[in-house]
Amino acid sequence: MSEHDTLRIVIAGHVDHGKSTLIGRLFYDTGSLPEERYREIERTCREQGRPFEFAYLMDALQEEREQNITIDTAQTFFRTKKRPYIIIDAPGHKEFLKNMVTGAAAADAAILLVDGAEGVREQTRRHAYILSLLGLRQVVVAVNKMDRIGFRRDRFAEVEEELRRFLQSVGIVPSFVVPISAREGDNIASRSGRTPWFHGPTLLSALDAFSAACDISDLPLRFPVQDVYKWDGKRIYAGRVESGTIRAGDRIVFSPSGKSTRVRTVEKWGAPDLSAARAGECVGLTLVDELFVERGEVIGTAEDVPAEAREIVASLFWLGNAPLRRGRPYVLKLATSETEVTASSIDERLDSSTLEVIERHADRVENLEVANITFTLSRPIAADVFETNPRLGRFVLDDGGFVAGGGIIREVRTGAPGGGTRVIRLDARLATEPDGNFIDLTAEPGPVEFDLSAGFADRLARGEQVVVRIRSADQLEKLARLAFGHGLVLVFRRDEDGSKATLSGRGEESVVVYDETGPII
Amino acid sequence: MESLDELENQSIYIFREAYRKFKDLAMLWSIGKDSTTMLWLARKAFFGRVPFPLVHIDTSYKHPVMIAYRDRMAKEWGVELVIGRNSQAIREGMDPTKGRFVCCNALKTQGLQQILDEHGYKGIFLGIRWDEEGSRAKERVFSPWDKNFEWNYKDQPPEMWDQFNTSFGPETHVRIHPLLSWTELDIWKYIHREKIPVCPLYFAGEGKRFRSLGCVPCNFPIDSTAGTVEEIMRELQVTKTPERAGRAQDHEAAYMMQKLRSLGYM
Repeated sequence: MSEHDTLRIVIAGHVDHGKSTLIGRLFYDTGSLPEERYREIERTCREQGRPFEFAYLMDALQEEREQNITIDTAQTFFRTKKRPYIIIDAPGHKEFLKNMVTGAAAADAAILLVDGAEGVREQTRRHAYILSLLGLRQVVVAVNKMDRIGFRRDRFAEVEEELRRFLQSVGIVPSFVVPISAREGDNIASRSGRTPWFHGPTLLSALDAFSAACDISDLPLRFPVQDVYKWDGKRIYAGRVESGTIRAGDRIVFSPSGKSTRVRTVEKWGAPDLSAARAGECVGLTLVDELFVERGEVIGTAEDVPAEAREIVASLFWLGNAPLRRGRPYVLKLATSETEVTASSIDERLDSSTLEVIERHADRVENLEVANITFTLSRPIAADVFETNPRLGRFVLDDGGFVAGGGIIREVRTGAPGGGTRVIRLDARLATEPDGNFIDLTAEPGPVEFDLSAGFADRLARGEQVVVRIRSADQLEKLARLAFGHGLVLVFRRDEDGSKATLSGRGEESVVVYDETGPII
Repeated sequence: MESLDELENQSIYIFREAYRKFKDLAMLWSIGKDSTTMLWLARKAFFGRVPFPLVHIDTSYKHPVMIAYRDRMAKEWGVELVIGRNSQAIREGMDPTKGRFVCCNALKTQGLQQILDEHGYKGIFLGIRWDEEGSRAKERVFSPWDKNFEWNYKDQPPEMWDQFNTSFGPETHVRIHPLLSWTELDIWKYIHREKIPVCPLYFAGEGKRFRSLGCVPCNFPIDSTAGTVEEIMRELQVTKTPERAGRAQDHEAAYMMQKLRSLGYM
């Protein structure tokens, strides 16, 4: 990777916390603002009788300038001594979240901007959560408008503390938290004399410390077939290497068809001697056997083929105006595959700002909500879990021809939906909440068997208890058998939150199961 | 991966997506450096061929050097060239004295609309870039324009992870922008690396050169001594003047380009 690689930065945060102003400042301080653009903004501001407004650099649409808001994401360019940057300005208004997502999905890193006086607000949290769901892990926090709060160290520390706590809950560790004033230029390009107590980097040095898109050539090969051309008597399988490397002579396997052959040539116009292609390269392949495969199949190697997914468990954010409904068909687009899917269960609906669970076992997801969903696919596709391979572990949902949601894959199930028995080790699913231990099985649609480690059985026998949220009578029966086998107590209850079984070591009887009317076993 | 390779691959990916999704495609070739680079990238995407026609909207005010270059390259590269003209407006004497907005809209926008209607193109490749001008900075890669040839910039569908919106209504045409994330300097670096022949008007003669090509009455050369691609690259690294400074239609009134573009201007 050369150090001149462009880094794409999205600036996210609540409305009016100063995103567009910060962008103007970054431009100005790095000498990237063409004089004529500066004069054009000056002129427009003067005509409107306002002070010079950096925000006009990005807010180019008339509606944006007149209403002082950013409507759509805009992309622009500046450079530091280290490298060129593309800055993506993401609107802070809730109703423009789809534009924010469009911008943020293309970024390598993010600046999360928060007003030092106002502190963390609704869109600060929502944007942070979306960044995390988009897989962005390089984040710097800028606490803006320090001039308005007298560059007070204690106030900065308060905001920093509040932010760090929230970011941790969505799995983001900011590389730096920098006190700035975008309007006055403090700690942007040069250190401010007004924050002598701050010893971290300036915002620009913090950005320069990020790395450009991570190198995914080291991951196993994934080459989704984008198209097949039949030209000049040969069949060319066109596509982009999403991860890994492909070489002439490699033995390859298509997923999900399972067809297998060898690569004859790797082709690119103007590069006659090409023998391999790495992650990110768009090439064409000719194969030893001219197989009939369609767009959407993914090439891997015999040692590592992507899973043939029949069911996908995913975290999804929904941008559609109409709610996502359980049981309704959608088109899932993953790499080059397009497959009809249904949300077979909506396990949790979450508020994308507070992260609170709105509902379990829901039948719909509303605009701007996040949900954990199990999708049943109409036919198998090649897919990976996001953490293993981000390129094949993310997808969008298409509703009526438009992208209406995006998600990352948490789990891939290869058995027929509802078929096959899964063995679940209960202690591997244990989560601790303020009100005690719990295990959530509501996302398990099919037949299950349970297992328990000796250590966990001991903990229960010594008096700990765990609440198991269950989905089916089958799960209840299996839990009862487990309790019987380990000499534990099982109590079943059903309330507005769903069905629950409590496993514990107390009590004389080995198994007691109740419903509202009393003991049933 | 180097930036230029990253950009090249991204453009190729977009070309192949569009080619797979739309039957009736064409590419707008303005003869300028961007759309000529775009044409080069199409040949890369399709292994040397260009599997759709090129459309040039001839306003009748183009520099003769541009027309000569166009015809020479079309022949050399073996591409199918379709010339569009709003003949009626030209016959009736449309020119910038009627107002630049009126003239651009008639000769370019309507010229394009007529040729799309006539040939039934559903998708058209355009070589616009985010860094050219403010309203272009808001564009998506696949951008729908409705039957009235209007761009609904206030409510664009989301676009992420190279998943483009490709199912649009029957009355819609889609504009595909393979060069959005290229900068002016990237284009010149790529022209240099790939040795792409560009229109001679870009190179300085008598202390002037064109930085952006347009119609003769509304496009003005800049002061420059850059006579080679290398010299242009050096010039761009120090200049503080925007690329379209010499394009009179951009500067006639506030939000002129936004208004022109919302009505279908490129």
